[in-house]
Amino acid sequence: MVSRRFGVSPVGRKVLIIDDEDDIREVAAMSLESVAGWEVLTANSGLQGLARAAEHKPDAILLDVMMPGMDGPTTFRELRKNPTTARIPVLLLTAKVQSKDQRRFADLGVEAVLFKPFDPLTLSRQIASVLGWN
Amino acid sequence: MNAFEEPGERREDVDDTAFKEVLDRMWTRFLPDIRDRAAVLDAAAKAAVDGTLNQAIRADALSAAHKLAGTLGTFGLPRGTDLARELELLYASDDGLEGAKAQRLATITAEIKAMIESRK
Repeated sequence: MVSRRFGVSPVGRKVLIIDDEDDIREVAAMSLESVAGWEVLTANSGLQGLARAAEHKPDAILLDVMMPGMDGPTTFRELRKNPTTARIPVLLLTAKVQSKDQRRFADLGVEAVLFKPFDPLTLSRQIASVLGWN
Repeated sequence: MNAFEEPGERREDVDDTAFKEVLDRMWTRFLPDIRDRAAVLDAAAKAAVDGTLNQAIRADALSAAHKLAGTLGTFGLPRGTDLARELELLYASDDGLEGAKAQRLATITAEIKAMIESRK
């Protein structure tokens, strides 16, 4: 896509974005590639995400909550069941901001919950901060 | 869990202008999808005003509002996100959406549509 377009050197991180919405997925991918210089993989469904995660073993997964078919929480549980993907940090990405939803997500055991809309210029820094990649 | 309460810092070496140009191109590319979502909201608001809103239309509107809430702010329209969230809450509620609430749906939807069309 647009890796290094803005003069930022890659730092060897690989992130998988799982989101069924094309615009969100592509903006997030552009953001992580161009701002942070990370390698980005994408998947447009939970099932595709499970396969990509097992095959590529990313350093982190950015996972949408509301997806048709296999939703984010179900995808997360499946990732945890597979020894190949069980230890990959997962950050949920959601437009749900009600406190009851946040509590439900917290109970899942994900690394963090990021909220849509996100700022494409700061998304990578948010992820790096929570994962200790700074 | 570490939930983010504040926006992260940004890198100093990112070229703002070039980044905005890329984001603008993506907006243009995805504008048909965004307009489709606004059209779903428009149809639902009209149905509410006309008294013909049913569960199927309401569910479609809820989904469209949710997606727009998550998208518009990312493209620099934070007010659009706020309005879409208000619609999402209205369509998700158990309340009937007649009278003043129907008018509110129509007003918010019109504002979102205008915002989408006026984004430069």
